[in-house]
Amino acid sequence: MFAYPSIKTVDEFRQQPEEYQTAVRKIVRSHALNELYGAQVFDEPAIRLAPTPYAKWLTCRVAMEEYHHHVRFKELADQIGVRPEEMDIKRKRPLNIFEVPLESWEQFCVIKMLGDLAEILQVEDLLHCSFVPLRNIARTTMPEEKFHAQFGLDFCVDLVETPQGRAKVQQAVNGFFPEVPKFFGAAGSKNNELYRKYGIKLRSNEDMRADYIARAKSTVEPLGISLP
Amino acid sequence: MNGAWFSALGEALGEDERSEIAAYLEGLGMDAAMPVRQALDWKEASEICRKPSEERWRAEEDERGRLERGARVDPADPEWLALTEVLHGAAAVAAARGGCADAALIRVAAGAASYAAYQARLARAAGAASRHPFLRKYALYCGGRWPLGVYDHSFAIF
Repeated sequence: MFAYPSIKTVDEFRQQPEEYQTAVRKIVRSHALNELYGAQVFDEPAIRLAPTPYAKWLTCRVAMEEYHHHVRFKELADQIGVRPEEMDIKRKRPLNIFEVPLESWEQFCVIKMLGDLAEILQVEDLLHCSFVPLRNIARTTMPEEKFHAQFGLDFCVDLVETPQGRAKVQQAVNGFFPEVPKFFGAAGSKNNELYRKYGIKLRSNEDMRADYIARAKSTVEPLGISLP
Repeated sequence: MNGAWFSALGEALGEDERSEIAAYLEGLGMDAAMPVRQALDWKEASEICRKPSEERWRAEEDERGRLERGARVDPADPEWLALTEVLHGAAAVAAARGGCADAALIRVAAGAASYAAYQARLARAAGAASRHPFLRKYALYCGGRWPLGVYDHSFAIF
């Protein structure tokens, strides 16, 4: 199979076909915006909902890490020529996943457990990206994304110890989970085909979605929680 | 501001630090003479801050809300984020020295200091006086402490 060569620097990036450059810009812009939306609509407001100083401060640290991810992707976006207006969250409509209103601590824990699992899959797919600066950001970001999903799981484990807690977690899963599979994009996506052609991403949207659903199922079932 | 982040955890409190605590509590409208409880290790600090501390939290949030009506601080500011990384590193070093390898608890400590740093930046941006409670609490962090909050009418600090 033809493997696209590694593009090690932004200067080398500028010498690639326009199609390659556009594809990379789309992915970097998408990650930069998603990290910012996530921090603004979920992580920062969740500090108020957290029940103890321990949970509030841990949530605060998680919010900082998400903002830092945004900054890393945005710095790369600036370097590779993403236009400022494309990075303006007032002009770009967020993905559906970020339009779920955050109303409870249980809901936030579920969002970290299942939403950040989706982000892990997206970042995993960039760990061997042909554009090395993007690959390196993915590798730097990954341990923190894993921690965030574990954070959600750990708090959900505590919450499901009581029948009331389990009911609230199940209710939050029922409300949030149906939105997540759309996060992986359309089946037969032309963009995704280009990403794979150029070695930017590894897997099809369909493969990632199927993997996500399987991993989400194996995450929640030991808690006595089912996916809707 | 350069700080001795997390380097005085468990050490005996000095009189100036007790004065900072009293000024912080007074500034939030709480009892400045309440007893001070010192956590001696990471395990004890973790146990303390897993209990609710609502009265202090509400007092701080009311003040944050008041300040934010007149000033804004960008939480995605790269300089600010760089400081949060320094705080995380300092918490990890202090935890390792104290025999703690709990990655979540290290992040809790870093998150607490980051939030205090955010509050202090906000207070400065709003032109608050040096006796402002957020600046007094931040001074405790700069001096190497981890203020844990108010629990059962005692102020806890590590």
